[in-house]
Amino acid sequence: MNVITDHLSEFGDGLLLTVELTLLSLAGALVAGIVVAAMRVSPVRVLRAAGMAYVEVLQNIPLLVWLVIAVFGLPEIGVIAGLFTTSVVVIVLYQGAYTAEAIRSGINAVPAGQGEAARALGLTFTQSLRLVVLPQALRTVVQPLGNIAIMTLMNTALAAAVGVVELTSAANRVNLAEAKPIWIFVTAGLAYMALSGLLGLTTGVLERKWAILR
Amino acid sequence: MVRTSARKRWAVPVAVAALSLAGLTACSDGDSGSSVPGAAGGGKQDDLIAAAPVAANLPAGSTMEKIKKRGQLVIGGSLDAPLLSQQNPGTKKVEGLDADFGRLLAKYIIGKPEVKIVNSASETREALLSNGTVDVVFQTYSITPERAKQVAFAGPYYSSGLVIATKKDKTGIAAPADLKGKTVIAGANTPAIAAIKKVAPDAKIVTFGTDPECVQALKQGRGDAYVQDEALLLATAKQDPTVKIQGKPFTSDPYGIGLKHGDTQMKQFVNDWLKQIQASGLWAKTWKNSIGTVVEGEAPQPPALGSAPGSE
Amino acid sequence: MSAPSSRLLFDEPGPRARRRIRVATTLSVLAGIVLVALALRQFADNGQMAADRWRPYGTWPMWRYLLEGLWSTLQAAAVSIAIAAAAGVVLALGRVSPSRWLRIPPAAYVEIVRTIPALLLVYIVLFALPRYGVDLPLFWKLVVPLSVSNAAAFAEIFRAGIRSVERGQLEAGLALGLTRGRAMRTVVLPQAARRVLPSLVSQSAGLLKDTSLGYVVSYAELLYSGKVLANFNHLLIQTYLVIALIYLVINASLAKLARTLEARQRNRPSRAARTAVAAAVPTAATDAGNS
Repeated sequence: MNVITDHLSEFGDGLLLTVELTLLSLAGALVAGIVVAAMRVSPVRVLRAAGMAYVEVLQNIPLLVWLVIAVFGLPEIGVIAGLFTTSVVVIVLYQGAYTAEAIRSGINAVPAGQGEAARALGLTFTQSLRLVVLPQALRTVVQPLGNIAIMTLMNTALAAAVGVVELTSAANRVNLAEAKPIWIFVTAGLAYMALSGLLGLTTGVLERKWAILR
Repeated sequence: MVRTSARKRWAVPVAVAALSLAGLTACSDGDSGSSVPGAAGGGKQDDLIAAAPVAANLPAGSTMEKIKKRGQLVIGGSLDAPLLSQQNPGTKKVEGLDADFGRLLAKYIIGKPEVKIVNSASETREALLSNGTVDVVFQTYSITPERAKQVAFAGPYYSSGLVIATKKDKTGIAAPADLKGKTVIAGANTPAIAAIKKVAPDAKIVTFGTDPECVQALKQGRGDAYVQDEALLLATAKQDPTVKIQGKPFTSDPYGIGLKHGDTQMKQFVNDWLKQIQASGLWAKTWKNSIGTVVEGEAPQPPALGSAPGSE
Repeated sequence: MSAPSSRLLFDEPGPRARRRIRVATTLSVLAGIVLVALALRQFADNGQMAADRWRPYGTWPMWRYLLEGLWSTLQAAAVSIAIAAAAGVVLALGRVSPSRWLRIPPAAYVEIVRTIPALLLVYIVLFALPRYGVDLPLFWKLVVPLSVSNAAAFAEIFRAGIRSVERGQLEAGLALGLTRGRAMRTVVLPQAARRVLPSLVSQSAGLLKDTSLGYVVSYAELLYSGKVLANFNHLLIQTYLVIALIYLVINASLAKLARTLEARQRNRPSRAARTAVAAAVPTAATDAGNS
């Protein structure tokens, strides 16, 4: 077990980076998801088409391919950012597509009468979306969003492939030096399980507080 | 319109089963390795093979005899190491120093350059040799006393080392000591990581999966320097004028031919073969054919057999 | 499902709304064009648009090589899907069994495995198992971790399907004198599998994307083939863009298949089927909250 205690700082740094990646990605993906979901139900046809194309393109190419393309391709179109920043942006956009789909299904679950009532009160599209439909939609999809949050945590591991030394990468590096793979990878696995557990608990609390079951 | 008939009800499970069968049969013939018919392909390799020796007789019951009976030498190697063992997508042939030596050894044992290259991650080579998945490993396999506890090494057959590359206009990095406090790029899971930590413990190491990714990262300024095997960097610097090699190799990595631990008979046999091809000039020709295409001048002196600790 | 839902938030636009929609359309199209043009110009300035950097991808040998990689991707995906789906059925049957002792292990498996990144499982198979004498062929080094992690997702989908089948179906089977196992197999499972077919297809598409981890394993699937190719021709960005395109075409077709199946299912009158599908899409429905 002293492989772990000897390399506590490496594991700690990796864990911290994984947490940062996850939290930033979750916040970003929620914003991206709301924007794209709003586009997909908007009255402007071009925006609907763009939203749909966004979801199709983002969801149908593996995250690993997106990461590699972004890290090495973006500097070629003049966008130069660090590895961590690039990874966060890519994961935000990728998970944003999944979040958008979840939120859209929530919007579809809001009874049509709610939208009609909002319009009857004279609210514009944006107002009825923001004040009436979205708050209800988000509350119906707490559980699916929780699942997406866990998926996001899992996917942050792929940032290891583009040089971000998060938890998985840290474990791999410690293993290269110490060659005690079982202890090292089991520790990393337990850390991921703990983080997922926290995400699951948070989802559960939010669910009990907010959820509207339909 | 879709009515559930009794026959249709099982359509899904049956389809899944059929799919799995199709997958299983398909994978049995096209799995990990890539079969490389040695006779195919062009000019220079053919000359090498034509001039290559064949062993007079194989000891009865030896590993070599088993390989000859099988008619194919199974090699643990790479498909993505330019100049050493790189697959040519056009011809599917694996080219480079390690690949050529593998074919020469196959001809020495079997009489024909029949090889199968099993693409292997560097961490699993010891296991591949000990459970008999591969006969030999030709894969920039540095001889170390630690590894020699698990595998037998013939050779060394080539000596290389790590060098530092930077962008052409970069100054201030000429020696390993200059890496201190810098951001250094290295290939993931390569010996460069440990070597950098040794010469510059406080350097920040950034790793990428492949050599082209590392080169691209260097050019895009994601690191101050890139540490990699000399042969690979020579090829890069030759092809890309914006990359420059700084100084001489700062490590010495004697490459060995990995064999099953304890197989002294085969180790002796492979060393005899190395002696023969060094004496006949075939070693130098093989070098010219691969690394010699990017390095000026004559072939270097091959390292003395058994000279590296771990290969005695 | 987009056509009726978008009616929810706006009426048939009148003249003023139509004008505003036109303005918004023009602005967003213009913004899109400007962004793409800027990106392309910078891309060209860096020499990445040069014809000789793209020409190799107009030749057959390059495509043949990539298509062979794609074939390996499909093989790895097909075998992983078969294993994960079979294991998923077993796990799901365990989770709905009346015996607590049969319920707990599958539940534990699902809850543990779905919280471990697939990449970490790959590393374990790649680096840890060989130290204990288990060195799988490359194909299985990719397929085993993918099957292990996706089995949990498939189990949850099948469980959602089984739950969606009305209890009466099972009871009717039992009343006819079938054993519980036989009733499950011949009555409940076939209906469940049909109902969750769209989710099974989209989970399979996700698994196909996961095979890109072959890049780490060095199993010669599509992305790894791209890695070898980029090593050979030094055209890193072009190669990865071509590969992204191939993935897009394959996965978009799978996604379309899933939607078609879903639409067909929606035409059928069963309400339970719809709820099952809604519960399992887009990610496998799981009960993280009550575990």
